[in-house]
Amino acid sequence: MDSAAASAIPRGQVDLVDFVDWSGVECLNQSTSHSLTNALKQGYRDDVGLHLESDADEQLLIYIPFTQVIKLHSVVIKGPEEEGPKTVKLFTNKEHMGFSNVSDFPSSDSIALSPDNLKGKPVNLKYVKFQNVRSLTIFIEDNQGGNDVSKVQKIVLYGTTVDTTNMKDLKKIEEH
Amino acid sequence: MVLEATMICIDNSEWMRNGDYSPTRFQAQADAVNLICGAKTQSNPENTVGVLTMAGKGVRVLVTPTSDLGKILACMHGLEIGGEMNLTAGIQVAQLALKHRQNKKQQQRIIVFAGSPIKYDKKTLEAIGRKLKKNSVSLDIVDFGESDDGKPEKLEALLAAVNNNDSSHIVHVPPGPNALSDVLISTPVFTGDGDGGSGFAAAAAAAAAGGLSGFDFGVDPNIDPELALALRVSMEEERARQEAAAKKAAEDAAKQEKGGEQASSSHDATMAEPNSSSVPAVDDKRHNLTDDEAALLEQALAMSMDDPKSTNVAVADTDMSEATADDHELALALQMSVQDNAKDSPTQSEMSKVLEDQSFVSSILNSLPGVDPNDPSVKDLLASLQGQSESQQKQNEDKQENEEDK
Repeated sequence: MDSAAASAIPRGQVDLVDFVDWSGVECLNQSTSHSLTNALKQGYRDDVGLHLESDADEQLLIYIPFTQVIKLHSVVIKGPEEEGPKTVKLFTNKEHMGFSNVSDFPSSDSIALSPDNLKGKPVNLKYVKFQNVRSLTIFIEDNQGGNDVSKVQKIVLYGTTVDTTNMKDLKKIEEH
Repeated sequence: MVLEATMICIDNSEWMRNGDYSPTRFQAQADAVNLICGAKTQSNPENTVGVLTMAGKGVRVLVTPTSDLGKILACMHGLEIGGEMNLTAGIQVAQLALKHRQNKKQQQRIIVFAGSPIKYDKKTLEAIGRKLKKNSVSLDIVDFGESDDGKPEKLEALLAAVNNNDSSHIVHVPPGPNALSDVLISTPVFTGDGDGGSGFAAAAAAAAAGGLSGFDFGVDPNIDPELALALRVSMEEERARQEAAAKKAAEDAAKQEKGGEQASSSHDATMAEPNSSSVPAVDDKRHNLTDDEAALLEQALAMSMDDPKSTNVAVADTDMSEATADDHELALALQMSVQDNAKDSPTQSEMSKVLEDQSFVSSILNSLPGVDPNDPSVKDLLASLQGQSESQQKQNEDKQENEEDK
């Protein structure tokens, strides 16, 4: 999980923000003034002033559908030290999950974020489990400091699309 | 026009037997539920509504969210009152029912009727509220019936915990003469979040305000077209008669005026003529009319049956509330017909007066296609009509009827 070289994106992978189906993106328990787009959308996510915040308690449930089938390789979750997420569970291809059924079935992967990760180090996932992903559900269970509110600065997903895994077209995206 | 799935939680506990809302609290609640279901399904055809009861033996879902209004109304029948309301369980079951809604794109909403006292403390309610907010469920609370033990404060706390962006509301309805549903109509519970739903709500409010729906004669042509048509026809007949009578009066008053001026006035046959009606206005004080449907109906029937006596009775029975121009004309027309009947001459004499007025007749003939008033045969006819009508006034009815046929 904790591989080396934080800054560069993994070789051969693409930032999947272009393949997100924005009309179906949902986030449960988000605060209305600090919504998911602040963390996910290009431009917003790089703005330090904008972040995603939880509302009633510290858990967040984010549902991201894609416009085509993708393979997910790794993920970067950035957040503040105290309120950034700690335990994050990922579910694939499960629509309209609620907080009550996060425990109903096992997650495709479960990661525990370290402070390094919160600074931008990507987390490699169990690639074999994410071969055929139509939609991704991210469940943020708790945060680093055990606070009532979780904050997420930025979420980046790295992977490839299944249809056109054309290495020549891959652009090297500089991470700042 | 928000796409919504709603669960309505009904309080059917013992406290609902009380009659401080008419007829009983439970009935008032049932009426409000029916109205809400109608409003929701009308504002968006894809909306679904479900109903559950919170008291009785336990929380029971009567109908799962459906857009079939008939099913919802049917399940409201035969509900029994008893037991104690279990608010927390009711809300949780409602949440579960909404979670399993068929169309996941619908927003989730729970409407709670809280009529009995609440035995839970604020903390429990707040926890429930937070859970609802976490799952993005909006909550509308109708606080009626019992109000003690800090019930309003508890419900306000619950609302504050749930409220997300003003999508949840609370309404406190004190007991009083107004029906529960009437009070709710103007609240956001009904009208949605300031947006739509108001078409149904506005119509319901208008109907609830009582009385006429704004149509002519107070009769909806959609509901009863024949009655509306009969009323309209009789009204026009009276107007025509009154026109003729007024014109006759104007003729007598200014005999030396040329026929042309009267012809122009006759063209306004279908429009109100306040000037001419002012002449017999002095006599009209006795006869008062209202918008009363029954009175109009009696008059219409009377006129169609040509029965002067019943017309007289109808006029005498009614009281005045608001006198409009139409009613004024109607009053005059009726009075004319009553007076004519008193003189024992037939109502058809008015028709002869109409014919007698050559200018009026010629103007009518002008409007008829294919008839040229300058045609000698037509002129002869007119002359004969005039001569005959003059003689008829000295003779009896039968000859007039013959002329009518021409």
